Amino acid sequence: MRAGRDERAHLRGAQRGSASDLEALFRIHWPRAHRAAYLVTHDAQAAEDIAQESFLAALRALDRFDRRRPFGPWLHRIVVNRAIDWTRARRLRAEVELSDSLPAGERSAAPQDDVLTALGRLPAEQRAVIVLRHLLEFTPGEIAEALDLPRGTVNSRLRRGLDSLVEEL
Amino acid sequence: MKRELESIEIAGEHDAREQAWEVVRTAFAEREPATPERHRLRFAVVVVAAFALLAAALSPPGRAVLDEIREAVGVERAQPGLFSLPAPGRALVASDAGVWVVQQDGSKRLLGDYRDASWSPFGRFLVATRAHELAALEPNGEIRWTLARRDVRAPRWAGSDTNTRIAYLTTSRVHVVAGDGTGDVDAGGPAARVAPVWRPGPEFTLTYVNTVGRVSGPWATAPGPGWSRRFRAPRKLEWSSDGTRLLLLTRKALVLFGPRSSTPLSIRTERLVDAAFRPRSHELAVIRTRQGVSELLLGQRVLFRGTGRFRDLAWSPDGRWLLVGWPAADQWVFVRADGGSIRAVAKVSRQFRSESFPDVVGWCCAP
Repeated sequence: MRAGRDERAHLRGAQRGSASDLEALFRIHWPRAHRAAYLVTHDAQAAEDIAQESFLAALRALDRFDRRRPFGPWLHRIVVNRAIDWTRARRLRAEVELSDSLPAGERSAAPQDDVLTALGRLPAEQRAVIVLRHLLEFTPGEIAEALDLPRGTVNSRLRRGLDSLVEEL
Repeated sequence: MKRELESIEIAGEHDAREQAWEVVRTAFAEREPATPERHRLRFAVVVVAAFALLAAALSPPGRAVLDEIREAVGVERAQPGLFSLPAPGRALVASDAGVWVVQQDGSKRLLGDYRDASWSPFGRFLVATRAHELAALEPNGEIRWTLARRDVRAPRWAGSDTNTRIAYLTTSRVHVVAGDGTGDVDAGGPAARVAPVWRPGPEFTLTYVNTVGRVSGPWATAPGPGWSRRFRAPRKLEWSSDGTRLLLLTRKALVLFGPRSSTPLSIRTERLVDAAFRPRSHELAVIRTRQGVSELLLGQRVLFRGTGRFRDLAWSPDGRWLLVGWPAADQWVFVRADGGSIRAVAKVSRQFRSESFPDVVGWCCAP
């Protein structure tokens, strides 16, 4: 409850032009937004771009945002949809990997973690519902609304995704 | 599962957060709504400043100071009108009224309420933007085609006699469209508000800055085997006319690259307002401002100096003249690159029917 009140206060402050309130919102929500984008795209650079772009999109709509609604789910919905779009676009373009031409500090992390590796083998659409459900704690109904999918599709993607993860792990 | 997902390590997580915060903070500062309190404060500051200036002006020593300032800002013998350009070619100017084509004889034509524009490779056409429209025009203002896109800006046209491409930015993407307005594609990832640049040459290779300050390219119209490297606060990209040097201007440095590698050839750590390659050369002209005084330099040589901030550096197509804007004086100053002479034009804003100081967005080839 307290966190919700704080968030509403920060939202109100940010809408009135307070940079410190905006920073508070950013610090609260960036880690999950960035992580969600990374888990869907498996690309650190893209995740950074997507999370940042989503914050900028949220910023553009800040004045119109209804303070009674929670900010986090709204932002996460933007992030995950953009991450899915990015993954689809990359697949369509059959993008050439840049890793050979990048300096060491610029490279995306190699997926060393078992969970990350297993997650990476799932289709982006399944990754997205798993991230929404198990990282961002959306209900299946909320996922269906966020991704504009029938609830049955969400449930089947969740089930198939988790089954595949269990097999991989 | 939640714990597992939260414990996955993401490379550069801290840097990403701080860089993103800087971008978000800057965007927020630009959009910050004015509150009634700030209006009152601003009014109070204006009133205090007005009284202080009046008091200063009425006292004999104060009058002397104001006279000195008046003389120091602007070239004293500036021409009252833009009677001609000092070199062959035509200029494109963006003012509050729209985009103008200025002929060498000084005649001007307002093309319409566009906000940005650039020339086609041989100056036969130009591409201009307004809020949600990209338009290809003839220099007489006749529209060849238009394309509706959201928040279009920074168009750049490149190519040969028979095959051309236009790169442009939308709200957050970089797009490429053929010179005849067909085949529009989303050419890359999220793009920052820095004009993309085509590398001069037979191939269409594009370099642009993404929203986290990563310079990407040169790419052949879609991301491919180029390079990508992040810089703090990039502001401008420009290729030398032979396509072998790429200039990147950031808030605190000027970085030069060779044609292929992301490893800089040189880094000049200095706050510069603008920089531009001399046509058919690797010589660089730059504007820098220190303690309220601006300087125009070619290499290490100061060509011109004045009080206030210069901006909008443009080379004449023949590489013999430089044009700088001097908003505090409401003047354009044409400076010969050999330092031999200057020509200033006064009351530039009024000549282009503008409240704000007009931008020179291109000075191109003679007809």
